[in-house]
Amino acid sequence: MRISVLLAWMLCVPSMLAAAEPGVPLISPGFSPSHLDAAGRLVEDWGTLGVRLGGEGIVDAAPAVQAILLDEVVRAAQAIAERGSVRLVCTAYRAPVFPLGVDVYTVRLEEVQNREAHVTLELELPPEAQVGAQAVKVGRRSVLALPQEALADQDLRDWGYCDDATSLKGWGKPQGSCDPAFRNIRAGMGGVPIVYRFRVTPRSQSQVVLGFCESHWAESGKRLLNCRVEGAPPQTVDPVAKWGQHKPGALVFAARDENGDGMLEVAVRPAAGTADRNPILSAVWLFPAGKAPAIEEIVAGKRSASAERYVDVGGDNDQSLFPPGNVEYRVALSPGEVKEYVFLAACTGGDVPVSTGLTWTSQTLRKAARDVWRDWPAETQP
Amino acid sequence: MTVPHDCRRCCVNRRQCLQYLSMAAFGAGTLLPSLRLRAEDSGQPAAGDVIDPETLRPQPEVRLAAAFFEFPRPYWLGWPGTTYDLDAHQAEYRSKLDESVQRLGITLAAESQPISDEEGVSAWIARLKEQQPHGVLIMLQHIHCWKWVTRVSEEAQIPLIVFAPVGTAFTGHVGRGSRLPRVHVVSSLDWSGVENGLKMVRAKRMFEETRMLWIRGKERNETVLERLGVKVRAIPRDTFNLEFDKQPVTAEVQDLASLLRANAQKIVEPTETDTVNCARAYVTAKRLLAAEKANALSMDCLGMVGAKLVPTPPCGAWTLLQDQGITAGCEADLYGAVSLMMTSYLLGRPGFMNDPVPETVHNTLIAAHCTSGIRLQGFDKPPADYLLRDHSESALGVAMQVLWPVGEPVSLVRFTSANEMIIDTGIVTGNVDTPPAGGCRTSVEIKMDGIEDCRDVKGFHQVVVLGNHRRVLEAFCELYGIQHVHSPQFSTFAEGSAT
Repeated sequence: MRISVLLAWMLCVPSMLAAAEPGVPLISPGFSPSHLDAAGRLVEDWGTLGVRLGGEGIVDAAPAVQAILLDEVVRAAQAIAERGSVRLVCTAYRAPVFPLGVDVYTVRLEEVQNREAHVTLELELPPEAQVGAQAVKVGRRSVLALPQEALADQDLRDWGYCDDATSLKGWGKPQGSCDPAFRNIRAGMGGVPIVYRFRVTPRSQSQVVLGFCESHWAESGKRLLNCRVEGAPPQTVDPVAKWGQHKPGALVFAARDENGDGMLEVAVRPAAGTADRNPILSAVWLFPAGKAPAIEEIVAGKRSASAERYVDVGGDNDQSLFPPGNVEYRVALSPGEVKEYVFLAACTGGDVPVSTGLTWTSQTLRKAARDVWRDWPAETQP
Repeated sequence: MTVPHDCRRCCVNRRQCLQYLSMAAFGAGTLLPSLRLRAEDSGQPAAGDVIDPETLRPQPEVRLAAAFFEFPRPYWLGWPGTTYDLDAHQAEYRSKLDESVQRLGITLAAESQPISDEEGVSAWIARLKEQQPHGVLIMLQHIHCWKWVTRVSEEAQIPLIVFAPVGTAFTGHVGRGSRLPRVHVVSSLDWSGVENGLKMVRAKRMFEETRMLWIRGKERNETVLERLGVKVRAIPRDTFNLEFDKQPVTAEVQDLASLLRANAQKIVEPTETDTVNCARAYVTAKRLLAAEKANALSMDCLGMVGAKLVPTPPCGAWTLLQDQGITAGCEADLYGAVSLMMTSYLLGRPGFMNDPVPETVHNTLIAAHCTSGIRLQGFDKPPADYLLRDHSESALGVAMQVLWPVGEPVSLVRFTSANEMIIDTGIVTGNVDTPPAGGCRTSVEIKMDGIEDCRDVKGFHQVVVLGNHRRVLEAFCELYGIQHVHSPQFSTFAEGSAT
């Protein structure tokens, strides 16, 4: 029976291609398909994800793309390319993660010439893609979840956000004369933290000021923020209780690069028990240690020009810690070694699940797909 | 997997249950010839197709690995002490464990000898990694064995229950152990704590093997909830009313309708036809669940009633399902239904998903809806009293007004997502009648524990369940990485609004 499913699945693919579909479809019952194209790239509604392999012993070769079944029931696509010292196998299937599913794209590198290989694996992302702490965003959508090794190999800017929060320009409605940064925010939708990192002299001290303006809640007790600045005691603030709705305010922290990595980290998270779990942040100022001006002057926007670093969070002068461009992995393979990288890609209209942490594993994703395909009524199979 | 039918799980008594199951076995042909003919002619379900609700409950395989951890003998100083009779205690706990796993339907792989050194721990961890049981139980026999607990937790990464009989742990051990991910520590002499831990493992497996029908809209698809693993099969809302239309008045339907009326303390609005339609809705739901290989459902019932697609809201039918351990949720509220599953799978009793109303004069919470289960004390326990009422918002069909026992403790449970659960507790202070109140037929008034102001109670469509189960529910959350939160202890209205 499984063979017949596979045959039917493989037979239907050429007809899909003939009907000008761009490759092998990735489907799950009841949802729109995405595709693995003839070049082995994942084609989604937000753009295309491909991989580029480079390094010594790597040669050009087109992949062979075919429809396959995983675990005898899960419809999948696979692209295999013999790239000299390394065989590149890209496998994709739809995992039926609630509510819209995610495409699981596994890149497998196999050393085949029985010698050490040092290669680079570059993710080809859409030009407008923005790399974050755990995920890549296109616009406000989190479209690709990254394995954590990605960050270790990346070049970083001197400062910027490194989170999966969202920039919301014009969200704030500050009353009275104040710094223009209070009109914009970054928001950690779904509880994700807002995180900034600033390059500093290792072990140095700074004065960090964080600015807030609550323009959604009128009552106190709704949005409580837990603010952590490296080297300083954490502070919890309820902006409405402390300053009022639409009233800009700021907190001062005596910061220190405590771990000596030359980067000062600032994070705003939902405080324990807060009703609204979406943290917000409007502005960040860095001043030399012990030299922060009066807080009223900072809030009024009179000291932004003299700050060592001034960030209009979510506004025009904001930036990601990661420069634009592709994500690159440096991979060392010993003779015969195999390494796998698993990426989760957003399906039509959806996001990848990053807000609550990735509770899915490769095993549970595959089980989910297996369970759904196994029991889906044959008469309504796509 | 088919499980023998347990009459105690029915809404009817054993004699009546056996009667209609046996009628079903004979096709009930002599009783309902006209209906049988109708069924054969029109492709309707046959009159004798009685579905045992027990077969609709998930019956997962649950595998548990267990071992005693002891220090090399003989003991000299150090807890539990030289006088602690290791052999006698281990024999006692082995016996209790055997009884528990048998009671819960868990397959046990217990180490035949206690593990007493690093090598033994390493070898066991290797076996656990290979066998991947669904849960692990360590029974501690020496206070110095806690470092091995940490090793098993970190290296095997499998949900772990640690039984530390009094005499094998101090506060620090229990605290540190409890903060390890996927670990539940039972520091007690009370074996029921261990059995509750085993129930947690079984409940998680039941979640993983559950397919819930999400009856709403027009879509047909299937997805899976993170962490819990519940499969959510969306099917068009019309499926239910079209199947209901096909459902004949079988012997099962007639018997159930009669029993509903006979067992009610009072019948207020429903007619005989209403009770027959209620039973038809119940049988329809069972057929749909069986056809879709599903174990639970949640339906856009209000939309269906609003569109006048069925002559009866499903409230009464949902009560019957809930009493048999089949989760039946209202208003297509997905996490409301998952919360109902929590009480069914872990606590073995129906929950009551409700609309919460703060009663500001008495500072209580009124939990109101139309689908309370009747077997509040457990699926195998005697039912509570109920009145047959209609669905108050539409004045249609059958909804039970279930009289909750005044003075008894209750728990309120609500998954806000697969990653967070609200847990509160209280005491039933009364049952509110409609009229004079409006709203829903079952309205339970609750004095909340440890919540200064009833207006602060968190959640909506939270599930009320009889008994104070706070510790067990919290432990389940901790074992499976779910954050548990509670309504605020002190009034958030005390300081007034900043505006």
